[in-house]
Amino acid sequence: MMPYHDEDNQYLIVGGGVAGIIAALDLAETGRDVYLVDKAASLGGQVAKLDKIYPTDHCAFCPLWTDIKKVQNHYRITVHTSSKLTDITEENGKYAVTISKEPTIIDENLCIYCGRCFQKCSAGAVRPLWEHASPPSHFIDASICTDCGDCVDICPTGAIDLNRTAVEIVLSVNDIIWATGFNEIDLSPLPEFCIGSHPDIMTSLEFEKWTAEAGRNKGGIIRKLNGTAPQNIAFIQCAGARDQRMLPYCSAVCCMHAIKQAQWVKRREPNIDCCIFYTDLRTVGRDYYEYSLRDIKGSGIKLIRGRPGLIYPLPDRESIAVKYENTLTQVREIARFDMVVLNGNLQPSLVRTVEKGMRGPSLDSEGFVDTTRDDLSRFAGGFALEPADIADSVIQGSSAAINVVTKTIYKR
Amino acid sequence: MSDIIVLLCRCFGEIDQTIDFEIVREKLTKDRGISSLICADSLCIGRDIDTVISQIKESGGRKVLVGACSVLARGDQVVQKLVDEGIVRSDIHLVDLREGCAWIHQDNPDGARQKALNLIDMGLAFLEHKDESDDVSVKINQEVMVVGAGPAGLAAALSLARFGVTVHLLERSSTPGGMLKLISRSYPKDDATSIRLKPYLDEVEKTSRIRMYPQSKILSIKGYTGNFTVRFSSEEEELSISPGAIIIASGAMVFLPNGLFRYGEIQNVITQMELETRFKKGNVTARSAVFIQCVGARCEERPYCSTICCPASIKNAMQIKDDNRDAEVFILHRGVMTPGSVLERYYRKALSKGIQFVRFDKDSPPVIKGDEDIESVEVYDAITGLTRTIESDLVILSTPLIPNHDNHHLAEMLDLQLDQYGFFREIYPMHPLETRMDGIFICGSARWPVSSGQAISQGEAAAMKAASVLCREEVTASTFSRVPGLKFGHARVTPDSCTGCGNCMAVCPFDAIRLQRIDGKYTYVSRVNKMRCKACGNCVSVCPNGTMQMPEHNYLSVCEMIEKAFG
Repeated sequence: MMPYHDEDNQYLIVGGGVAGIIAALDLAETGRDVYLVDKAASLGGQVAKLDKIYPTDHCAFCPLWTDIKKVQNHYRITVHTSSKLTDITEENGKYAVTISKEPTIIDENLCIYCGRCFQKCSAGAVRPLWEHASPPSHFIDASICTDCGDCVDICPTGAIDLNRTAVEIVLSVNDIIWATGFNEIDLSPLPEFCIGSHPDIMTSLEFEKWTAEAGRNKGGIIRKLNGTAPQNIAFIQCAGARDQRMLPYCSAVCCMHAIKQAQWVKRREPNIDCCIFYTDLRTVGRDYYEYSLRDIKGSGIKLIRGRPGLIYPLPDRESIAVKYENTLTQVREIARFDMVVLNGNLQPSLVRTVEKGMRGPSLDSEGFVDTTRDDLSRFAGGFALEPADIADSVIQGSSAAINVVTKTIYKR
Repeated sequence: MSDIIVLLCRCFGEIDQTIDFEIVREKLTKDRGISSLICADSLCIGRDIDTVISQIKESGGRKVLVGACSVLARGDQVVQKLVDEGIVRSDIHLVDLREGCAWIHQDNPDGARQKALNLIDMGLAFLEHKDESDDVSVKINQEVMVVGAGPAGLAAALSLARFGVTVHLLERSSTPGGMLKLISRSYPKDDATSIRLKPYLDEVEKTSRIRMYPQSKILSIKGYTGNFTVRFSSEEEELSISPGAIIIASGAMVFLPNGLFRYGEIQNVITQMELETRFKKGNVTARSAVFIQCVGARCEERPYCSTICCPASIKNAMQIKDDNRDAEVFILHRGVMTPGSVLERYYRKALSKGIQFVRFDKDSPPVIKGDEDIESVEVYDAITGLTRTIESDLVILSTPLIPNHDNHHLAEMLDLQLDQYGFFREIYPMHPLETRMDGIFICGSARWPVSSGQAISQGEAAAMKAASVLCREEVTASTFSRVPGLKFGHARVTPDSCTGCGNCMAVCPFDAIRLQRIDGKYTYVSRVNKMRCKACGNCVSVCPNGTMQMPEHNYLSVCEMIEKAFG
């Protein structure tokens, strides 16, 4: 009969985003032992940072939360958060992977999220992990912490230990699935965006966090500059992407992401004008094109085909000028916006890891895992493999999961 | 209420700073007759839970009401600890006294205490009156049926066979390969499809675990997860199988642009598929070829983007260019849909080869000039704002994929949802291949138009999902849910009072209710299939006389809870 319960083989999944979570669950449910390693302090990856997801307009958090709970409760899955891979060596057909688990000054198993340390800390080093962390806990930023020890005294459960150090763990695994996802890349090398010149020029993930219903503004659309309501918002697509100076590829998710954000702005504040500057409005997927049609027609979101050549704060610092050519009408214009959201600067996270000199998977010229090159990089899913939305990431995660299993069965 | 134990967590003062536990204790023991009430400093962190559990065991009570933090914080951990100690999950009820009570009413301790008491009263009423669903367990048949032997179906069947599962692979036509075998090369690697398909076909031939049924037609599907019964005909022979899971990979069809862009009227206006056939025969000679995108897509009737047409046109344009370097090749598009890294690179490659891309507006589509042969194509170039006349001798219309006609039939048999066009619909983006029926998975272009590469990874992913259904050799109805431990049981009928009106059958979204005739009489009673029931409660709300009940949330317990909250 089928080897459902396989005690001899362990698998490592690097990255606890949606692709990693689903791959881990699939492997565990078919009887495999899985290690799930994530560099962040809690699982969920980038989806956890989203307020809403397209095309259903549901909260991102609920379905993710049920799957995170399943991962945390599954006896075959060992989760290592705040952990980084430091070394990979090969022995007897297995990989010995060394991970360094950062000191979690607040033990999340003991933190009851009462918030006393947060109130007590005079340096402002303690803050909540993130809105939806499961279970919720606090986090101490070691770079700000003054080691005063006030939090240790006030913690009722003794969860805080300022002297914790990083631990090294060595795992022996058969195969590694890379599901490391993406990071936002710094756009300041591109002069046209004037990054840092005005607080209301922000990237789309910053905007998502700023306007999140569970965030500090409770879904309010206000300006970072002075807390007032903006009159209009510009969403700039392909910022840093499809650009030979930075990321030559298309990040695939940003068109729909911008439409979703603009639509939620309209839903909450119908008087704010939203304008999307696009190159090709790539709405490939079930309901995506209809979603864009419905929202753009229905709520009066303006679409302009063109890539702004310059974005700069106006001398009064009140608002931001966007200089662009509408390539469908061939008209050049300068428009005044209160907020500018930059979309597209998503880079696979593995680029940075491999740059640091650790042995890692083979990457192609754009930083995505090249699964054809060698054995270590054969299995990957999500944004590490190719720009992908939630559904595609999950599919690739599952597909990588069955491929690692059948590879092991075939080897025998 | 003597058998209910109330556990209250102080949470190191987080709860009892606001809610005075002494008053709560007095009210509960005096007015509600609670004999055992235990207050602990913290239920989630080590120290107290052991003493609490020994106290519970001493008191002899059976049901436990926990007043602690929200299930989103550590409430579920507390419940899990109690379950680990041998208390039945359905006898535990969690009341959120921290996030939903003490914290948000910090400025009003009296109100918070009253709310806490109301919440506890509701919990007590719930625990007292709730009933329990009777369970049923079934064995999972260790076989999978895959419908369709295209790239998705082949990948699914092969992955399962390698995994060790017996697969029944049903194919409508006489040979496997699906739409891929009609195509000359596949993007983005530009490899011949025959070479691409070969390893799959070879392995299907070789392995004994895959049983291939060509020319098959499904006649009926009955049953539920783990125990489907499928009757089908293959090569005019009628067969029956009992798979434990079903994977739908039946693919899609290509839209024929009859009447659009003078298709059928001028000889050299052809579809993408006809071009593929010409490539296979090796007789494509064109001085100048024009591809027109979005023919019959992103329009009123089919307002969707079919995903694969832009890369397919780019692939074929490059092939024409490769065959004849002097050929002029134009792609007239409404936005080039090549998302991601691989396809964007593919698009750049086409640009560097000299393929010309012209963007047109939806409202001013290209016009084909000429009487019997194509003379030219006139198009308003939206980027330059000029009307261009392109001399051409071959026009290729890129048409979208449309759902198979028999999807409705299949969906009806399996009780699956189709989207507004007729493609199979998934339950949620986080679970993109799962349908609302457990044990039935969708992949490939039957779900949504995809390239062959994506179809293969979807097939593999669907195989993984099917394997995770099969890996539990025996399941019980109560544990069979996507979120283990969170199913609320299943609906129950009292046959004596059921009038057989059929309202419940009509509203059940999971096809779990059937009317059954009583032996020797002309009356009917409804019957619930416990494996199919998802405890949504629709049937309960339409039952005219309260015969249909959710035992865990029956009328009595719900009414009592409302009474306690507002009475």
